[in-house]
Amino acid sequence: MTPHSGRQGWFVRRVVHGISGWVTLLTYLFMLLPIVVLIAFAFNAGKSTVVWTGFSFKWFEKVVSNRNILDALQVSLIVALASAAVSTAIGSVAAVAITRRSFPGRDVLGAALAAPLVLPEIVLGVALLVFMSFAGMILGYTTLIIGHVLVSIPFATLIVRAAASSLDPRLENAAADLGANEWQTFRMVTLPQLMPAIFTAFILSATLSFDNLVMSTFTSGVGTTTLPLRIYSMLKLGITPEINALGALMVLANVTILLLVMGRYLPLMLKTNRR
Amino acid sequence: MTHRLSLGLAASTLALLSAVPALAEDLRIYGWAGEMPDEVLADFEAETGIDVTFDTFDSNESMIAKLDAGGSGYDLVNPSQYAVQILINRGKLVELDHSKIETYDKIGPTFQNVSYDPGNKYSIPYVWGTTGLAYNKTCVDAPITSWKSLFDEKYKGRIYMLDNMLAAYIAGLQVNGFSANTSDPAEIEKATETLIAQKPLLAGYNSTNFADLVSSGEACIVQSWSSSVLQAIVDNPDVVYVLPEEGGTMWIDGYSILTDAPNPDAAYKFLSYILRPEVAAKTTELTKTATVVPDSMPLLPAEIGENPAVFPDEATIANADFILDLGDAMKFYQDGWTKVKAAP
Amino acid sequence: MRRERREQLQTGLMLAPSVLLLALFILLPLCVVFAYSFALRDPYGAVLPGFTLDNYRELVQGVYLRVLMNSFSLAAWTTGLCLLIGYPVAYFIAFKAGRAAPALLLLLLIPFWINFLIRISAWVVLLGRGGLINKALVFSGVIDEPIGMLGTVGATLVGMVYAFLPMAVFPIYAALTPIDRRLMEAGADLGAGPAETFARVTLPLSLPGVLAAALFVFVPSMGVFAIPVLLGGGKDIILGNLIVQLFLEFRNIPVGAAVSILLLGFSGLGILLYMRALRRVEAMK
Repeated sequence: MTPHSGRQGWFVRRVVHGISGWVTLLTYLFMLLPIVVLIAFAFNAGKSTVVWTGFSFKWFEKVVSNRNILDALQVSLIVALASAAVSTAIGSVAAVAITRRSFPGRDVLGAALAAPLVLPEIVLGVALLVFMSFAGMILGYTTLIIGHVLVSIPFATLIVRAAASSLDPRLENAAADLGANEWQTFRMVTLPQLMPAIFTAFILSATLSFDNLVMSTFTSGVGTTTLPLRIYSMLKLGITPEINALGALMVLANVTILLLVMGRYLPLMLKTNRR
Repeated sequence: MTHRLSLGLAASTLALLSAVPALAEDLRIYGWAGEMPDEVLADFEAETGIDVTFDTFDSNESMIAKLDAGGSGYDLVNPSQYAVQILINRGKLVELDHSKIETYDKIGPTFQNVSYDPGNKYSIPYVWGTTGLAYNKTCVDAPITSWKSLFDEKYKGRIYMLDNMLAAYIAGLQVNGFSANTSDPAEIEKATETLIAQKPLLAGYNSTNFADLVSSGEACIVQSWSSSVLQAIVDNPDVVYVLPEEGGTMWIDGYSILTDAPNPDAAYKFLSYILRPEVAAKTTELTKTATVVPDSMPLLPAEIGENPAVFPDEATIANADFILDLGDAMKFYQDGWTKVKAAP
Repeated sequence: MRRERREQLQTGLMLAPSVLLLALFILLPLCVVFAYSFALRDPYGAVLPGFTLDNYRELVQGVYLRVLMNSFSLAAWTTGLCLLIGYPVAYFIAFKAGRAAPALLLLLLIPFWINFLIRISAWVVLLGRGGLINKALVFSGVIDEPIGMLGTVGATLVGMVYAFLPMAVFPIYAALTPIDRRLMEAGADLGAGPAETFARVTLPLSLPGVLAAALFVFVPSMGVFAIPVLLGGGKDIILGNLIVQLFLEFRNIPVGAAVSILLLGFSGLGILLYMRALRRVEAMK
């Protein structure tokens, strides 16, 4: 290192990093402040989400005994898990095929799988409803799951594709040299390396489905009111800390899942990305 | 292998979900959020052993779109008056057999023969209310009595209109002295101009959380459906609901049986149940919306039974129009409303 | 030869589910929408068979042009702000955060674990006249009276940036991390000033990420509808609201379909521009 570059280093450290540091700090305040306020007011004794009147757990009690919310939660969980499973499965297989096999129209398929990402969801939702009624499908779990799969499949495919394309082919060649057949190689070498990505794809797909409102509006049917749909109708009757309590519980559940499960996979995932 | 496993898992989940056990009797209702208390549904289930699924919608429009798609699977639906007309025209509703509704005669005389469905052939009125305005006492100096206040420069930036074409035109038409149900293109055009001129004064169009906005003082005056602000009135004495002197309008949310209802018998049982005076009283008490059963009035606590926001007096009601579907004239409203929405 | 055939069969089997899904539930529905955009309707909203260009003709009226301009300017503002804020954040996480990087990325996703509507309603409360921001401003003496922030364009933009910022940070971060620090140092060693190093090395190398970020923010912002209604008062109608209004409130499926096709065209245009820009950037390397 020359003294010259040292001065450069100082500039980059102080000014460029300085600006980015401040922007980052403010951005995180901006992103997290509403969440902190939201969770704080979940413990409000009064009915307001603005004026603090005292500490209480009553809104939590209220929300966990609300039959409508529990029913909707169940629907949302079923749909999130099922749609994430389907979209991860289909997306992973397609991702592996796209990165490992050559076939005509490979680029087209790759682009087509990413298409829902850039199709306005409302257009896709309306198109699906129009098509499903045209095809005589009954609205319910099946239609809801199909809709959610469409929303999440681009993410699932892209994540697994990124991981599959960064795999080291030498490992697979080595396995083949050691006498493993194709299937064994895939199962013992390729798949374990893809697992973190597949898992991430699953979690992300489930999250997207759990939060989805637009697609659910058009594809839900009898007895399949999802949580976001239920919350939407609750907003109309007035925002009470019950909604805050629900939000606080969601954060709690997600942090728990993340710490329990992602803690194991995340370092692995980031390592693959870094390479 | 994992792929196949998860695929198999997903497939069997789907299979399980679609194979609904047909043991207990089911009733599937598609209704307004907040107008049917959970207690009433639970009591009905306990008494009859029928399993009720109650899904909610948040506007007549989204409900119609869903039913229009066909094969909805619902038995009962809960449309407002103009939506009843549309659903009849779309062939979605069955002609009701009144003899199967044991408590049919409990319906008050004014609701026995409604204009949008003569003779209640396709729909049974259940709850009703009005479209008027709500204001926060702390930010107005004198009581508000007229739609004109929604067009008053004084409240600039503190006014919200309902984000609903038909509702917005009630104010736009009545403030000009026209009927809220006019089919006259010139009158609709005039109302459109009024609404466009009003736009710079508005904080916005809102049919979601307007009750919160007026209760918190964010808004001074909001155009409002009576049922939506009643909870805010109970919680905050500063909130007042009025039916404006120009008339305002009345709405009725009733129940109709769908042509493809899987279980119409259970639907009739439900209709007979909810029209019982004690059940109607419970509905009014818990949701703070008026029901069509006069015999339920004596059973109500005074603060609800004598609350003019819940039960306006006869003279006020007589002044209020019903919003109806106007068939071909809807085109003028829609073109006008698009202009209003696109105006600066 | 047999092995090759078997492999082809395998590939076919691997592709079948995704191809089927795309064809059945994206391609076919979009075809139906396309067909409906030329259809007729009766006053009660039933779609009637027929062929007309009136639905598109209706769109070239001045009214709809305004809607288009509104959507475009909202999407452009959102994209600009997200890039302006997202780039430094991604830069910081990539080069400066060190071991905290994974945690910072996860923190950015926390708001997404709470339902979208709850998130937006939190902003309704924060931006209200009685909300925390107004209270803090009045308390600190910056203003005397609470100011109305709900129902303004600013409030809409706050909500939009809040919703779309992570979509901008992630692609930029992904493009920045693989940049070899040695390249940046080399630039400096060759006598380039820091600003020049950034402008000639770091920024060009991260451009593909910036382009992806722009696409991921711009296209969905064109179809948004809940945020402008809940925070901005819903006064400046945009394409998303227009589609909801046409399909649901007016039951005018043919015109709604035509607007959808128009929106699809815009998304397509966005993707096309992205591809071209990407190719140019890659050619620059």
